[in-house]
Amino acid sequence: MSIKDKYAFAGVGITKQGKVPEMDTDQLAAQAILLALEDAGMKKSEVDGYIYQQGIGGGPHGSQPLVMAGVPASFCWEMSSGGCYCLNMVIAATSALEAGLCQSCIILHATSASTQRVLVGAGGPQMRSTQGAYGCYGPVAHGAWIARRFMHLYGLTREQMGSVAITLRDYANKRPEAVMYERKLTMDDYLNARMIVEPLCLFDCCLVNDGAVALIITSAERARNCRKPPVYVMGYGTDHSVREIGTSPYAYMHWDGFITRKAGENAFKMAGVTLKDVDVAELYDAFTPFLLSQLEAYGICGTGEAGPFVEEGNLRLDGAFPSNTSGTELSWSYLQGFSHLTEGIRQMRGESGECQVRDAEICMVTGLGPPAPGSTATCCIIRR
Amino acid sequence: MSEYKKQLPDITSIDRPFWDAAKKRELVAYRCLNCGTFYSQVTDCVACDSPRMEWVKVSGKGEVYTFGIYHQLYHPAWKEEIPYNVSWIRLDEGPLIMSNVVECKNEDLYVGMPVEVVFDDVTEEVTLPKFKPVS
Repeated sequence: MSIKDKYAFAGVGITKQGKVPEMDTDQLAAQAILLALEDAGMKKSEVDGYIYQQGIGGGPHGSQPLVMAGVPASFCWEMSSGGCYCLNMVIAATSALEAGLCQSCIILHATSASTQRVLVGAGGPQMRSTQGAYGCYGPVAHGAWIARRFMHLYGLTREQMGSVAITLRDYANKRPEAVMYERKLTMDDYLNARMIVEPLCLFDCCLVNDGAVALIITSAERARNCRKPPVYVMGYGTDHSVREIGTSPYAYMHWDGFITRKAGENAFKMAGVTLKDVDVAELYDAFTPFLLSQLEAYGICGTGEAGPFVEEGNLRLDGAFPSNTSGTELSWSYLQGFSHLTEGIRQMRGESGECQVRDAEICMVTGLGPPAPGSTATCCIIRR
Repeated sequence: MSEYKKQLPDITSIDRPFWDAAKKRELVAYRCLNCGTFYSQVTDCVACDSPRMEWVKVSGKGEVYTFGIYHQLYHPAWKEEIPYNVSWIRLDEGPLIMSNVVECKNEDLYVGMPVEVVFDDVTEEVTLPKFKPVS
């Protein structure tokens, strides 16, 4: 049975993003919850579901943020699937609503990765690790491996990767709450930046920062009576590459970009719309090659065309497919997928300021992430 | 040998045959006894659902499928190696495995480079299969 249009986002709570040393992850999470309730105009007693992740940078501790915010939830679930978990939480929350387990559900991400000076993926000195035995640390290499495949197969250039980073930075430069609001990025800056895992340089990689976002999902009926206009969940789809591990060149982090197709097909089928109906997209962008590979995997451009597609300006507001309109994980705030859904909801509400896509009605949001080996792709279609 | 500072592989009962073979200077891969499909991980066959699997010796030849060059240091033991490659090798038999390409400058590495296995005895207990360009 489809959940199309039965549930909607009613509240968005965004704390300060960037360096927030004065607050820990539980305080950030509690503040985001209270901001989301205020945004929705809902009472604490109306929220009885809570889903969070212990993500990079510690994350909130169990139900502590609920206790601090005084929200009496009847379930408190931890979910873990990296950059995919935000959308997987939407699936879990709407499933819980459908099953009658709750009336309204908070989904949340909070991190203090900047204050804790996290080096994502750094190896411990004693622990055994087969990847570590070969010097493979952190998720950056996945981006490098995809980029190298695209360079080999399709002639992807560093300038094209740079155009992803610069397009997103230009959006963030128009968003006062963005971590990179005041920091311009030029192609010279990009080409001269230090390498992390070549061919990825610093600006191909998402930010490491502090901050939290809480979103409230509830019934369409309740959402229509909230303070802000409802943003409906039209459909979603998900897929995992486990069946391709070890045998297919398409396994692992979508090196050649095909595994995500099924996630998109299922999402659009449930939503009853097609890619042509999408007005704005928020595509997972932990590393520039992730965004490029998804453009091809979801059929937004042809196979091998992602580099030129971005370089020609198609992701910009006046382009064919405006995307990642806040600067998302690369320039707005790294929230393991929450930046995309948050911006998608704001676009549907008309709250994206100078980055607002005019008359936008339908938004496509994606996520990519573990559990490894292999990875999950999730796609969600929302509308105003 | 006790001075080896890099991490050692997380050898489990499941993949011990791979590391035991490497110590004997053999590269093995996991194959379905029913349909012959090769895997780079221990799994029941996803091609034909057979649970009948075996470790078999493979040629040790393949090509570079993709690679990344680490400039960022994530573990102190790799300080002297930076910049170093972490590469995926597509074995002639089909599976992909992660390794390092050795005896090759970073700037000479390319996707499609023919490579063959070499064995690096990093400790008395552990031998890491690595790859070098086919001369």
